[in-house]
Amino acid sequence: MRPGRLIGKAILALAGFLAVFPLLWTALNALKNNVDIITRAPRLVFTPTLANIGYIIGRDSVLTGLYHSVVACGSAVLIGVVLGLPAAYAVARYPNRWAGDIQFFVLSLRFLPPVAVAIPLMVIWLQVGLYDTLPALIITYSLLTISVIMWLAIPAFQSVPNEIEEAAFVDGYGAYSVFWRIALPVAARSLAGAVAFSFVLVWNEFLIALMLSSSNAKTLPIVASELSQQGMNVPWGILNASVVLLSLPPLLFLGVLSGFLNSVFRQKKT
Amino acid sequence: MSAIVCSHVDKAYGATTVIRDLNLSIEEHEFVVFLGPSGCGKSTLLRMLAGLEDISGGEVSIGGKVVNDLDPGDRGIAMVFQNYALYPHMTIFDNIAFGLRRQKVPAAEIRKRVDAVSRTLGLDPYLGRKPAELSGGQQQRVAIARAMIKTPKVFLFDEPLSNLDAKLRNHMRVEIARLHQSLKTTTVYVTHDQLEAMTLADRIVLLKEGVIEQIGPPAEIYLRPANMFVAGFIGTPNMNFVEVTVGRTGNGWTLTGAGTVLSIEGRGFHLRHGDRAVLGIRPPDLKTAGAAGILQGTADLIEFHGNDALVTFGSGGKEISALVPARECPALNAPVRYTFEEEAIHLFDATSGASLRKQ
Ligand SMILES: Nc1ncnc2c1ncn2[C@@H]1O[C@H](COP(=O)(O)OP(=O)(O)OP(=O)(O)O)[C@@H](O)[C@H]1O
Ligand SMILES: [Mg+2]
Repeated sequence: MRPGRLIGKAILALAGFLAVFPLLWTALNALKNNVDIITRAPRLVFTPTLANIGYIIGRDSVLTGLYHSVVACGSAVLIGVVLGLPAAYAVARYPNRWAGDIQFFVLSLRFLPPVAVAIPLMVIWLQVGLYDTLPALIITYSLLTISVIMWLAIPAFQSVPNEIEEAAFVDGYGAYSVFWRIALPVAARSLAGAVAFSFVLVWNEFLIALMLSSSNAKTLPIVASELSQQGMNVPWGILNASVVLLSLPPLLFLGVLSGFLNSVFRQKKT
Repeated sequence: MSAIVCSHVDKAYGATTVIRDLNLSIEEHEFVVFLGPSGCGKSTLLRMLAGLEDISGGEVSIGGKVVNDLDPGDRGIAMVFQNYALYPHMTIFDNIAFGLRRQKVPAAEIRKRVDAVSRTLGLDPYLGRKPAELSGGQQQRVAIARAMIKTPKVFLFDEPLSNLDAKLRNHMRVEIARLHQSLKTTTVYVTHDQLEAMTLADRIVLLKEGVIEQIGPPAEIYLRPANMFVAGFIGTPNMNFVEVTVGRTGNGWTLTGAGTVLSIEGRGFHLRHGDRAVLGIRPPDLKTAGAAGILQGTADLIEFHGNDALVTFGSGGKEISALVPARECPALNAPVRYTFEEEAIHLFDATSGASLRKQ
């Protein structure tokens, strides 16, 4: 191997290590007793315990938080897909004189500091009487997912060659069939990225969730943060376990999504 | 009955008019080629026939039916695109069958027809593959198969061969010609390649800036160009143009220009004493002459083409090219003399550029 490649691989390995190690360490810490965590020298060999994980899973607040998160984020992503993808396609393929403004507006939702969005929303939901409910959270999160999905899907649809869609028109298909049978599957890989990104974004969302829920609609990030506020004696093991729990759904979501894509796009061998 | 009729067709994008008052009628079974320089509106016109581009004014009818407001799928056309436009996520089989599925053709018949078409085009081994796993030539054949299978009233081709290398292009050109011979489907074919136009067309439609300059069979366009633009556009190497003054003599005419005086009978042309005209002569029509040459000068550029050589020389301050057999090729900077027959010349009005030839 040439030295250039060797150096390249070394840098790659280092970057990979930097990215993966904290996750691995967190996962390990979730299996440790507190004494093993707060030692001066990091301990690789220890007697594992399931106590932290058991504690987390056993707590009602964590389970309801998980439930709220899954429902709120799942619904928001679903709504984002159902409304955002067709909207993005329309802007990409049938631009009118507002297309540029729409794109900018959608993007501007993400420019604003979250607090600037969260406070008016809080007031709105209080007045509507839906404050601290899941529907309020779902609708609010849908704003985020729709804007992110549209923002990422417009270029994805634009990169589908026009001629392919025109060929389908010549083959007798209408605009809706072309969207379903041509644009969606051809752009699927980039679109899946957009959907996954929007899921991760709302799953990790903290500030808006904090401001829109006081007790009945707390999401997992809120619950996890409350675990660390239990006085001076920080329960590190439990915190780490909750982080693991928090990271699993996005990983699962990504895994399912990419598995689905691979099954759709597997190259046929002849 | 004409297969395609365009009457007073206009196309404008906002304030820019791309096609202007275009009238054209294409017969059934005819192979018509749209030819013209880049940006002259060939693709736009073809896409208007296909229904992919709105018609700003006038009327287009296909098979006797006005199609201005019909969707592409309802016009009885099939189209082959420059970059093939295969559906990347479908197998070759599905690519070819996609249009039939829309027409709700039963699965068994789809299979039969796809098999038949793919056999004709030599595609059977690839039916299970995806487009990305085929070579450019194979992809183009899939695109043609996809168009053929619908048995359309009209085939539309937009520069289908321009992405292929020279050898494959020749091969596919022959295949398209053979296909048209056996299917006889009315075909409109866009290209900027003269050779393709000359070899494939029953008639060539020569466009410039959205206006038809001449319509006619290839030989007529080559031998009797209607104006200077057509004469200069068709034929490689390009026609020589020399400005001349027309003079009357006892039994004929003289053309004076480029340092020489040429006497002609001039029966085939509308001529008037004292007129300014442009003499056109194609490089292959210039013959090496002895002492009696009409045009003379020193050879200041020689391009070797294989069998032939293109000799460029200055005559009366004008650059003129002659295509001569390679063995007659002079040395660089040697004096050269060329002559030509009166039948070989073209004369154009110096101001309008229109041909002075009698019809
Ligand atoms: N969407 C559009 N908006 C404005 N002008 C356009 C548009 N599409 C094409 N044109 C103009 O119309 C003219 C004709 O374009 P067209 O694509 O028909 O040319 P063409 O003859 O096919 O050229 P080529 O050989 O390069 O493909 C060009 O001058 C082009 O700039
Ligand atoms: Mg074109």
